[in-house]
Amino acid sequence: MPPETIRFTLDGRAAAITAEPTEPLAHALREHCGAQGVRVACSRAVCGACTVLVDGLPAASCAMFLWQVEGCAVETVARLKAHPLQEAFARHGAFQCGYCTGGFLMLAKALLAENPSPSRAEIAEYLSSNICRCTGYSVIIEAVEEAAAAMRAPA
Amino acid sequence: MSIGLSLPRADGAEKLSGRATYTADIALPGMLHAKLLRSSHAHARLLRVDAGRARTAPGVHAVLTRDDVPEGLMPVYGYFIKDQPIVATDRVRHVGDIIAAVAAETEAQAVAALALIEVEYEALPVVASIEAALAEDAPELFPQAPIGFVPAYGEGARGALRPAKNICFEFGYRMGDAAVFDRCDHVFEDEFRFSRMWHFHLEPFVSVADARDGRIEIWSSNQNPFPLRKELSRIFRMPENAITVRVPYVGGGFGSKNNCKTEPAAVLLSMLAGRPVRLALTLAEGFLTNTQHAAILRLRTGVMSDGRLVARQSHIELDAGAYSDASPLVAEKAGYRIPGPYAWEHVESLCRCVMTNTAPAGPFRGFGGTQATWASESQIDMIARRLGISPLAMRQKNLLKLHQAYMPGESGVDSDMEDGLQTVLAAIHHTPAPDRGLGFAVGFKDGGGVNKPAQARVKVSTNGDVFLGCGTVEIGQGARTAIPQIVAEILGTSATRIRVAPIDTDHTPFDQGTNASSGIAVMGQAVARAATAVRDQVLGFAAAQMGTPPETLRLEDWHIIRGNERLPLGPMIMRYYGGTGFEFTADGFFKPDSDHHAPLEAQCVYWEIGWAAAEVEVDRGTGQFTVTQLVVAGDAGRAINPMLCRGQDEGSAIMGYAQAMFETMRYDAAGELLNGDPLHYRVPLAEDLPARFTTLTLEQGHGPGPFGSKGLGEGAMLPVAAAIANALEDAVGIRITELPLTPERVLRALDNLEKATA
Repeated sequence: MPPETIRFTLDGRAAAITAEPTEPLAHALREHCGAQGVRVACSRAVCGACTVLVDGLPAASCAMFLWQVEGCAVETVARLKAHPLQEAFARHGAFQCGYCTGGFLMLAKALLAENPSPSRAEIAEYLSSNICRCTGYSVIIEAVEEAAAAMRAPA
Repeated sequence: MSIGLSLPRADGAEKLSGRATYTADIALPGMLHAKLLRSSHAHARLLRVDAGRARTAPGVHAVLTRDDVPEGLMPVYGYFIKDQPIVATDRVRHVGDIIAAVAAETEAQAVAALALIEVEYEALPVVASIEAALAEDAPELFPQAPIGFVPAYGEGARGALRPAKNICFEFGYRMGDAAVFDRCDHVFEDEFRFSRMWHFHLEPFVSVADARDGRIEIWSSNQNPFPLRKELSRIFRMPENAITVRVPYVGGGFGSKNNCKTEPAAVLLSMLAGRPVRLALTLAEGFLTNTQHAAILRLRTGVMSDGRLVARQSHIELDAGAYSDASPLVAEKAGYRIPGPYAWEHVESLCRCVMTNTAPAGPFRGFGGTQATWASESQIDMIARRLGISPLAMRQKNLLKLHQAYMPGESGVDSDMEDGLQTVLAAIHHTPAPDRGLGFAVGFKDGGGVNKPAQARVKVSTNGDVFLGCGTVEIGQGARTAIPQIVAEILGTSATRIRVAPIDTDHTPFDQGTNASSGIAVMGQAVARAATAVRDQVLGFAAAQMGTPPETLRLEDWHIIRGNERLPLGPMIMRYYGGTGFEFTADGFFKPDSDHHAPLEAQCVYWEIGWAAAEVEVDRGTGQFTVTQLVVAGDAGRAINPMLCRGQDEGSAIMGYAQAMFETMRYDAAGELLNGDPLHYRVPLAEDLPARFTTLTLEQGHGPGPFGSKGLGEGAMLPVAAAIANALEDAVGIRITELPLTPERVLRALDNLEKATA
């Protein structure tokens, strides 16, 4: 397939990738844009380590084509700067090997945008689209609860 | 003061921003990409491997088949038995066995070229299970004996290579007189089956190798950089100082990233191509690379009517898969740990590694201890119930007491077993109800590896900036956070002032590997000795400068404290050493003493214990059951960083929970893995957690590590499955002896119970 130029925004900046439009998005972001925080693990949209936000919604970038983000806003973990989720993850030790962490942070960001006051059960259900093999999840759930509370609090 | 503080992880800034570098992120100029051709047969003779068309395919720089291995190499690897080839030679022994590899300019070109390699197989009979491999008419998987050796053992223990067909190794241990069985009031024989999991580490196996000009430089997702260097040196017949192993952050391992995986093929392709080569497997290829050991465990246990345990004979068969890998070591551990934390008059264990046409089994969190605990703690409960004794009283009567030797010549246990058990029982809020039950178990293993040496180096600059060189790989456990806390405490400084050097075998002090929950209790001791030696140097220097005995001085925030005086060290150092200053440097070393009276040739460094209590509720109509509460505890001795301790125990406990409930690899009789894909292989998700799930970190204070610490990370996994099986019997009177504890098995057991009592 001949290369095409796909234009989108990546973490708030204009981006253009000239490549085969059927290249997996995760691969394209890593290889052409240096998006190191997008981790490729299962390549089957199962584990969610590669989760990015496409127009605000979480997506497994390993199982998307590059052409699908034409004109979209793509956000990776690099977008987060001193975000309450990062701070809560640090306080709770909500990561160990760190390979799934970028994906979990983006997934949790999407959850809190959709539902600023999720119950513990709602958090667990939402986060069940990603896999963490290290922590046993409780600390991730606690971190998301705490970040949600911090984000609701008046500044 | 640093010890006991839940300091945030030192790798947080990198990991929470996505900037952390893993091997998957390493790219070198001119780097090629490699992929592997794998066997579609579980067992076959390789009649023809023709890669002619692949060699001229677009972008291809090197092809590796059995015809491309240069003369003079030793192209096989393994721990004690070198039986795994880099690429298959005469036959393939499991689905996924490596037949060929291609390095090309892109991964897509490598994949395309692999499709051009023609392979002709002559199918051989397949043995896909322990029973099939031990059958009289089973084919011999290794007609010729591979190179191998037996580790040194002390009193009561022994090992043997190839004691019988399709058994690569057996471990035996014997203590006391078997005649005591004659005095027992009861002798119970039971058989247990243990399932097989895959590690499911999220960072797939990956290596980047640059092997040119008579040197090897390799970056690898590997937890044992120094043993890897040694193995590569042996395979490629190169001196160890011609090989540099670098290990960035590792994205999880759980045992799988010990020893060679992608490394030898990446190195050989780089040699052939004259370019750096990246060999990154997919996650799915991991299922074909290394797994846990399935097992059949037969226990014969003699007891007195009052519940006193007297004698235990055990016969364990581990499914070692197609190559021996770490199986001899796992056999040693399973065979040695099977008596459990109880006092016995006689023990006789035999553990054999059975070769099958399935993926090679190797190290997995728990390392034989999970298999042993499943069988032992199930049977202890079964015996208690048969004798009409409560499972708690049975354990209280027999548990080893604090400091009591595990076996003759062995170290004493360094946890109060009963205290731990009472702690989890107090924390589980169980009220009896119909079809609801409570179960518990004690997981037990010798921790810290066998006879394991570790070295570390601590340097402090003129301004009090600290460098730590230590080979413990940061694989998620938090080594780069907790180990500096030990240094900080000893030097009287803040943990944030300690820089841990990246791992590079040219500079990093020697270490045997990041395994066996040894980071704190073994490496921690080497680090503490290095830090103490540096502190003593600094105090000695200051004492000489001040004309005072060093005992009157102490170090705090890089100041010398004498009584009410507080003198900055920097100026004192520059006055003596000159304006560019100095670095105080010291090495620390730790190894348990070799000891021929100890069964494993050295006394165990510490004992890693996990206690679990589980409450279940069973639906008799469907066999479905829920773990309504799970409480797990480990003994940290002294928690260096409580947050990290909890993280280790919690992750470990959930792995045990998954094994109990659903997670398992399923092979068919043809050796085909039926669920060898991330989509079909079920691992626990956030929504799978028990409704109430608590982990407790005990600090009983008896550990040999710095400040009374012990290791953690495996213990909490050990008792979970047995605790849940024991709870099922408490709830509805059924006993399941095979993992996982599926609703089908529960329902069948309920039906059988109904028939038996009808």
